[in-house]
Amino acid sequence: MSRGKAVCCAQLTLLLAAVVGCVQVPDLSLTLTSERTTIERTYELTKYLEHQLKDIKDTYLSYLGPPFSDPDFSPPRPNSSSLSVPSAATRVELWRGLENGARLAQNQRAYRVLLCAMRELARSTLCPYLQSSLLHFCSGLNGLLGSITGLMRSLGYTPPQLGDVPLPLPGDGQPLLTERPASNEFSRKVEGFWVLRELQSWLWRSAKDFNRLKKRLKA
Amino acid sequence: MISFWCRVLLLHQIFTSPACSAVVSPQDPVLLVGSSLTATCTLSPGLQLHTGFLYWTFNGNRLPSSVYHVQGPGALSVTLHNLNGSRQQSGDNLVCHGRKGEVLGGSCLYVGMPPQRPVNLTCWSHNTKDLTCRWSPGGPGEGFIRTRYTLKYKLRWFGQETVCTDYNRGINTCYIPSGLAVFTPYEIWVEATNQLGSASSRVVTLDIIDVVTTDPPPDVQVNRVGILGDQLTVRWRSPPALRDFLFRAKYQIRYRLENSADWKVVENVGNQTSCRLAGLRPGTVYFVQVRCNPVGIYGSRKPGIWSDWSPPMAASTPQSERLQTGSCDAKSGSQTAALRRELKQFLGWVRKHASGCGSVSIKLYDQWRAWLQKSHKTRNQILPGDKS
Repeated sequence: MSRGKAVCCAQLTLLLAAVVGCVQVPDLSLTLTSERTTIERTYELTKYLEHQLKDIKDTYLSYLGPPFSDPDFSPPRPNSSSLSVPSAATRVELWRGLENGARLAQNQRAYRVLLCAMRELARSTLCPYLQSSLLHFCSGLNGLLGSITGLMRSLGYTPPQLGDVPLPLPGDGQPLLTERPASNEFSRKVEGFWVLRELQSWLWRSAKDFNRLKKRLKA
Repeated sequence: MISFWCRVLLLHQIFTSPACSAVVSPQDPVLLVGSSLTATCTLSPGLQLHTGFLYWTFNGNRLPSSVYHVQGPGALSVTLHNLNGSRQQSGDNLVCHGRKGEVLGGSCLYVGMPPQRPVNLTCWSHNTKDLTCRWSPGGPGEGFIRTRYTLKYKLRWFGQETVCTDYNRGINTCYIPSGLAVFTPYEIWVEATNQLGSASSRVVTLDIIDVVTTDPPPDVQVNRVGILGDQLTVRWRSPPALRDFLFRAKYQIRYRLENSADWKVVENVGNQTSCRLAGLRPGTVYFVQVRCNPVGIYGSRKPGIWSDWSPPMAASTPQSERLQTGSCDAKSGSQTAALRRELKQFLGWVRKHASGCGSVSIKLYDQWRAWLQKSHKTRNQILPGDKS
């Protein structure tokens, strides 16, 4: 393992341990201070994953080859009717008005779907080094999902289960990505491209979500 | 940096862009290097787009219209000749675009060569417990598309073929962790397969005891030999895993000067676990390493495989005032420096108090020393060289 990768591994491990350690406090009478600390650490994990994703995305797009690796490339979003990734994009007034439970639920649902999609991406990658990086990233994403779920429980919310009604989507309401694998490699590449794009949007949005949550809990 | 609200609106726009509007065929073709391909972009029935506005790109590069053919009102084909090996293993990207450059559809091409038979299949066992095998691809063209290598083995006189499953120990390497028999030969080979064909390496026949390697000798110690400036002793222990079986094991020592990259190897150390290095430079730091070859283990008659070198141990030879054999930069010890200072003072006194000694100076002493060194060197050239 290169020195850089070893340092990143160590940083991720520390962050995950801190987040999980916070969430697993057995004391049922959690104070808001404790939850704000958890939110802060989840926020930091989000920023860390956002930073990691930038490198992985560049490598993955190089693996896909041009035009996917071209800076302005934007293929159409895949069209399907199966399980979908809820969009990070939302109207401003809707976003601001989100209640804490709903805000966390949207994040939790998105990362649950994105984690599955990323794992599938990793599985179908032919380059072993890239596959290993993607799997390592998935473990970080899994940690984020775990901390959001734990936070929901400690604040008294029930995390959404699989099979819940999908959240409203912008535009024509068409779902974005499918759980069923695409039938040809080009479509799989487009799907992979969109998984990373969607993940980038969500990580960027989650940072804003957790900041807002922290402010609300202070108030 | 774009403000938060701008990015929200931008994302909203992205999610309302039109869907894929054409089908490209063939999908995922697999082709030999040098072959040609004609692909067709067929527009969806509802799409109001003239084929004259369509264009193709191949790995991001626009293809000239001279290779396009209109197949009908809603279909445009392109012919690629003499294809090179795929640019990336995920497949070359052949994309059909609309007038504004939007992606209408695409297909991934896999252009490569069938594998040639893998070569240089070599295996070694660590302490008779396991087996690691390494090979090289048979040809240069196998890297364009995904080529899978499978290592297989079976006992020579028993027909059960087993597939090796651990390919994580390195490139073109497979590891068999356990379940291996000794005193019976194995047949081992590698099969290479990709979408264009397959090939099998020559079968290697070996007995585990003939390809055994072991750990480097532990507890290597390097010490001075009294005040002798040109010698060091090296001691080590037999590798513990095979300690009871190393009757005919061989050892090798190598050593180098601290600031040199050139190792000197002592080949014939034999079966003992200590050795004295001679002909060294006094007052110098040396790095020393030892390795072991468990030759003759369990009665094997093969040359055996050397272990890795032990971690380097450092030691310094004592400082010596004698002029060294073959040395061309004898350093002044502290005693010599003191002697020179005293001599300088004496000669200064002689010039003052003894008439006729005006030309006597420390420079004369230095000239004498240089002459002395030169005459020693000439005499020593006829003496035997280093004993190592």
